[in-house]
Amino acid sequence: MSTAHVLLGLLAAGPRHGYDLKRAHDDRFPQAKPLAYGQVYATLGRLERDGLVVRSGQDQESGPERTSYELTDLGRERLDTWLTEVEPPAPYVSGTLFNKVVVALLASGIDQATGYLTAQRAAHVTRMRELTAIKTRPGANVGDVVAADYAIGHLDADLRWLRTTLARVAELQKEVTA
Amino acid sequence: MSEALLTATGVTKSYGATPALRGVDVTVAAGEIVAITGPSGCGKSTLLHCLAGILRADQGSIVYRDQDINLWSEASRSRLRRTEFGVLFQFGQLVPELTAVENVALPLLLAGSGRREAGEAALGWLDRFGVADLAEQRPGAMSGGQQQRCAAARALVTEPRVIFADEPTGALDQLNGEQMMTAMVRAVREQDSSLVLVTHEASIAAYADREIVLRDGAADPSGIGIPG
Amino acid sequence: MRAGTLVRLSLAGNRTDRLRTVLTAGSAALAAVALLAAATVAAIHGGNWIPDPAQPDGGGQIMAPGSEQYTSPLLVEAGLRPGVIFALLMLALPVLALAGQCIRLGAPARDRRLAAIRLAGATPGQAVLIAGAETAAAGLLGSMAGFGVYLGLRVALHRRGADGRLVLPTDVLPNPLIVIVVLLTVPVLSGLIGVLLMRRVVITPLGVVRRIRDRGPRPWPGVLIVLGLVLFAPRTLHLAPADWRMPEWAPLAMMGAGVLFVMIGVVAGTGWISYTAGRLLRRYGRGPVTLLAGARLMADPWNGSRTLGALLAAVVFGAGTLGFRADLSAEFDARARFDELADPQGGRYGTGDTGFYYGAIRLVMMAVTIGLVVAAGGMLVTFAEGIVARRRAFAAMTAGGVSRGKLGATLLLTTFAPLVPALLLALGSGASLMRTIRTGVTVGGGDPYQVCVDPKAQDFSVCARRTIVDPLVHWPIPVPVGQLALLGGGALLAMLLVAGAGMLVLRSSTDVAELRAG
Repeated sequence: MSTAHVLLGLLAAGPRHGYDLKRAHDDRFPQAKPLAYGQVYATLGRLERDGLVVRSGQDQESGPERTSYELTDLGRERLDTWLTEVEPPAPYVSGTLFNKVVVALLASGIDQATGYLTAQRAAHVTRMRELTAIKTRPGANVGDVVAADYAIGHLDADLRWLRTTLARVAELQKEVTA
Repeated sequence: MSEALLTATGVTKSYGATPALRGVDVTVAAGEIVAITGPSGCGKSTLLHCLAGILRADQGSIVYRDQDINLWSEASRSRLRRTEFGVLFQFGQLVPELTAVENVALPLLLAGSGRREAGEAALGWLDRFGVADLAEQRPGAMSGGQQQRCAAARALVTEPRVIFADEPTGALDQLNGEQMMTAMVRAVREQDSSLVLVTHEASIAAYADREIVLRDGAADPSGIGIPG
Repeated sequence: MRAGTLVRLSLAGNRTDRLRTVLTAGSAALAAVALLAAATVAAIHGGNWIPDPAQPDGGGQIMAPGSEQYTSPLLVEAGLRPGVIFALLMLALPVLALAGQCIRLGAPARDRRLAAIRLAGATPGQAVLIAGAETAAAGLLGSMAGFGVYLGLRVALHRRGADGRLVLPTDVLPNPLIVIVVLLTVPVLSGLIGVLLMRRVVITPLGVVRRIRDRGPRPWPGVLIVLGLVLFAPRTLHLAPADWRMPEWAPLAMMGAGVLFVMIGVVAGTGWISYTAGRLLRRYGRGPVTLLAGARLMADPWNGSRTLGALLAAVVFGAGTLGFRADLSAEFDARARFDELADPQGGRYGTGDTGFYYGAIRLVMMAVTIGLVVAAGGMLVTFAEGIVARRRAFAAMTAGGVSRGKLGATLLLTTFAPLVPALLLALGSGASLMRTIRTGVTVGGGDPYQVCVDPKAQDFSVCARRTIVDPLVHWPIPVPVGQLALLGGGALLAMLLVAGAGMLVLRSSTDVAELRAG
């Protein structure tokens, strides 16, 4: 649902047309999956239907005809509600990584779990290094850095959990073999 | 990567009867950033000190540009540290009685530079680390982050070939640490220097091209998995 | 490194460093004055006994001219002057010890600074140069000031006694070469001591971080004390081959070296005493006070040597002087006894000028007292500095619930547990110095001889004669226990006053706010 909210947020600064919105999105969320052009128009259609945005004009200066949209009062209200709403912190403890480790421990024993954990750690470290390189690149903008920070923070948390789990598994193994 | 600039082979070091390093091999190529990580007490700081020639390894060789610096006299190693190496510690290790600019200028002054040119170079480096406005302050009047930036500037002022940093962000908060690392990595890349970085934080180790994980004074194979 | 850089780095310092410079300079000035005074006395000529040129047959002796202008026989007689020189040189020792103490002031901060400079890439040589330059400069400054004071005193003390003769040798100047040597001695010594004290930093730029102390100090300085006593003892000279002509100054130099060795031995031995006292306190003590004091003594056994150095040196010298006094008074007593026993017609010693000798000793003891006061000043500085340097530890202990009274008791125990045995050692070895020469006085006992019964008889060969037997007086030299106790008590009192003053510093150093500082 958040794509709709993101578009509402991008329109808060003033009227924009669809192509403009896509570009603004990709700029602000550089490390996110790029927004498809069609998805922008589908979402805008839904927002218009719900009365959250209205068409505000058309211009045809260069290239094809473009319709710009602007926020209605209802739309602004919806945006405000969304922004003040508290996200429930980790309501369900799950995630592919977590599930896989638990299943690996259950199904295939400590050795295989350790092997998986080591490989996963290496993959995490590599990804983290890539993201960090984005930050230190000369001319990195705030958007890049903030996005990289977000991902690095999560990877770092994963890594910490992985390291602790590796140590726990090793201790478990020591107990088993002892 | 280009050829090896610094190669340590079979390095061992003990404190009294306590072994800290049990035969470690490290290679650092020119322009490479290498992180040494591992749990507390694994010997990573000792390894860094041996690589930088601050401590003398008990056994093994530390070859820098075809010379085993482990065999050099303390005075020669000091000179090497001053001219070719830069050293940065967790708590800055600034001289508390000198101002920021004097601290940064110190390696140049010790090498025989004049007051003015050393001061100018120092100011330039303080500026690159965003603390030029603190040039006339003493370390006591600065925050931990500011002190650490000055220390980093001091480590880089001689434009060293290799910079050794021991937990450089250990005393800093996340943002201060990241900003300092970013400034340092950019400077290192620009000069095509090498950086050897000791840290226990994965997010700081991620600034490196390569990671060496130590455990109980030896390289830890389970912590590898880093391609290249 | 350019000279300007050296100057800047040597002068970089905080308040404690500046205080150290001032105190080092001050004690260097005092030492220079004492040494210059010794050199001045050495510059006096004449006063030795030479054959009387008026009696070419060698019948009589007269005193060589050159020293007749002084009131005091101590200056007039060439045979007495080496003693004066010796005493003045010995007086310089506690003052030099004080200078050594001042060099240690604020040492932890300086060690950190030098380690930081080393990390910045200074070679060991450069670090030594920086530290040495600072101390040597302070010493040189002090020497120069001391020279000024000396010149001023020469003018101020240029007085004549009632008979128109000079009280002090204000009319002679030492050889300029000697003056230069004296003025350079203090800075060079202080520089060397300064370098010696920072040897750990020279080894590693990691400063004291990586220091490992596997064992406490050993009691080897005891060997130094014994060596000093052996050097001092005149019997050692007899060991030299009979045909070996010793230079005239050799016995005096050996005695000086002996005293110096004993002093160094006592001061260095305090490290072992501290360590052992700490171990005993830890093993047998009960309660937190003895535990803390014991741990502290073991952790830093050299603190005692640093704090008490000058005091102990002065006590060694004072005890030596008291031993000399006991020796002298035994000699006088033995002579008086001899005169009582001797035949009225035989030889007699007469009452002699005992007042002169005792007066001279009183002067020396006054110098010792001055030395003690100087040392007490130095102790106060070191003691207070030691508290300030550890204020974080004190504040942490206060925050942890150790009461200020307990901390004070700990401090007193850490001070006095090593001080008392060290003082006894200083008194004992100082008093032993003179006893290596002799422990008893023997007077008389010559072969029997004959005299005319009638003292007016003209011709010995024809007069009636009688035999006179010289009495033999053997008089043991007592150990001046009472006076030594007085000296030791004085030293203890000085330390007590210092500790009391130090407690005031402790009060402000236990503020929990210190935990946040720096």
